[in-house]
Amino acid sequence: MALLEVEDLATHFHTREGTVRAVDGVSFSIDKGETLGIVGESGSGKSVTCYSLMRLIPEPPGRIERGVARFDGQDLLQMSKSDLRHVRGDRISMIFQDPMTSLNPYLRISTQLIEAQQTHRDIDNKAALFKAIEGLEEVGIPDAANRVKSYPHEFSGGMRQRVMIAMALINEPDLLIADEPTTALDVTVQAQILDIIKQRQERLGTAVILVTHDLGVVAGNCDKVNVMYAGQIVESGSAEQVFYEAKHAYTRSLQKTIPSLQEKGQELYTIPGLPPDLTKPINGCAFHPRCPFPKTGAAETGRPTLKDVGDGHCFADCGYCDSSGSIEDVLAKGDTDDIQLPGEGVKA
Amino acid sequence: MSDRRDDFLVLENVKTHFDLGRDFLTRRSKGVVKAVDGISLTIKEGETLGLVGESGCGKSTLSRTIMQLIRPTSGKIWLEGKELSAISDRDIRDVRKNFQMIFQDPYASLNPRMTVLDTLSEAIRTRHPDSKGDDLLQRVSELLRTVGLNPAQMKRYPHEFSGGQRQRVAIARALAPEPKLIIADEPVSALDVSIQSQILNLLKRLKSEMGLTMIFVSHDLSVVRYISDRIAVMYLGRITELGNAETIVDDPLHIYTKALTSAIPVPDPRAEHSRKRVILQGDQPSPIDPPSGCNFWPRSPVEHDAQMKETVPEFVEVATGHWVSNCRFCVEPTAATSG
Repeated sequence: MALLEVEDLATHFHTREGTVRAVDGVSFSIDKGETLGIVGESGSGKSVTCYSLMRLIPEPPGRIERGVARFDGQDLLQMSKSDLRHVRGDRISMIFQDPMTSLNPYLRISTQLIEAQQTHRDIDNKAALFKAIEGLEEVGIPDAANRVKSYPHEFSGGMRQRVMIAMALINEPDLLIADEPTTALDVTVQAQILDIIKQRQERLGTAVILVTHDLGVVAGNCDKVNVMYAGQIVESGSAEQVFYEAKHAYTRSLQKTIPSLQEKGQELYTIPGLPPDLTKPINGCAFHPRCPFPKTGAAETGRPTLKDVGDGHCFADCGYCDSSGSIEDVLAKGDTDDIQLPGEGVKA
Repeated sequence: MSDRRDDFLVLENVKTHFDLGRDFLTRRSKGVVKAVDGISLTIKEGETLGLVGESGCGKSTLSRTIMQLIRPTSGKIWLEGKELSAISDRDIRDVRKNFQMIFQDPYASLNPRMTVLDTLSEAIRTRHPDSKGDDLLQRVSELLRTVGLNPAQMKRYPHEFSGGQRQRVAIARALAPEPKLIIADEPVSALDVSIQSQILNLLKRLKSEMGLTMIFVSHDLSVVRYISDRIAVMYLGRITELGNAETIVDDPLHIYTKALTSAIPVPDPRAEHSRKRVILQGDQPSPIDPPSGCNFWPRSPVEHDAQMKETVPEFVEVATGHWVSNCRFCVEPTAATSG
């Protein structure tokens, strides 16, 4: 049985401008020791998915409208607040993007690391401090015995993120949710941090959900990948399937926009337009208006559902993602003019 | 030296230091941040130079020093034969229309209380003080069209645009005084990948159409490789390696450049799992009290001897146009061929 099974999760935000369907029917599962990557642009709902699982959505305006998230047999979305508190930080923990705002600036690292343990376990100060120092050493903080008494501001960004990882892993959770853990860091430090997460995962058998907008980070670190667009998963499968046999037009377009994959002289492919306004109902494929593939016929009602094309590789097929055709051929025909249409993409 | 001044932009041993002052009680000096510590560089007209390095390496300070937003502590800067570092603060505003800057955060760099029309008109008037009425509107429309925005949107405020569109407005403003040099400080790092490619294409197009010279500052080597002719790698206020974009990314000599290139995640699972990484130790040290000698020794996987920890390595040209900070522990002589 999977460690976490999410079915038809939907989280909406009820704002004055209307209902924002940030996450609208997301299903996936993750096994023990596995790494699942969730990729997408800002606003695609990848962070809201994770926050919903931890029930960290501000309510109101947010509300989990429907769905089930079975973690070890229990539904996280129906759990009582007190039960949830036993799960959070103990069996599931989270690392956030910005290590500066997620550590308490008034408390020493030691206090915060000890508190994290004593909330869930009956452990005395001395033993907890010892474990804290051990945890810091494991994430590569030099002179941990002394540094444990420092305040967060005394650490650099990379070191602070290490402290966050040490704190998230101190209770040896079954599942670690990392929301853009390296986005605020330099590439050299990013490589170190991803390495540490991988090492700890191998040792403890932790399952990891890695949320990122960087396809490169996903390629090197994930077993399975979910590609999100406009609040839904448009493609999922193993890393190899998603990178080498991408079916959905969005996944393929996204790969075409990355500079490192392009010839230098060539103009980069740009996806025309902007992601759809999530306050309005979406008919048919959400990517339809930006899709490079020629479309005929009327827009469907409702969005296409994920279809298995073999070996667990799924994509939301609207019938026009001409999966056999090469995107290069299509792009060669159409011009990739980046001038936007009048009034397009203006945010209210 | 006179021949060097004929080049478009010349930097000669530029240093920008920040004095942290004295401690209130003990009167002891708190130290000096050596953000830019001796940089010499020549940029040809029409060229794009990429400036890469980790945060805190001094790349932003260097670009602000070239802009004369921060005056260099020592050293000289010439733009088209004119010595910028000698121009008084009052006169520099006049000259600055020849070199403009694009900043990282399009949310912070545009005045939220000015419409696009106001913002651009102000910038246009630095070059054409008498422009008004229809002529001014004409110029604003022209600029907006150049950066791919609809002129009908000129009466809008910055908050009415998306991030990518705001960055286009910021680019239009930088172009308004008809500059020859554009310094772009991380212009795409706050944007999503799909928007990033739009802005990169735009910058590349503008550069070739208008013959702009550009300094492109970024921490992302794959972006820099795509847009630049040459790349300079900075570490702790100095340049460690300088050369053609392809050479620097595909065939680096200095171990720091190798670490940087190997740290870029490649969106290709098989390549990611098979390649070897140079993983550095720890973080970049503080520029307040930087390591002496070859300043890379505390993080290098190769142990340095006492001599290299003391003496600053020479910056030598190893192949035509390929310069490296020649520390014998950071640069292997055979590395050039073995890759």
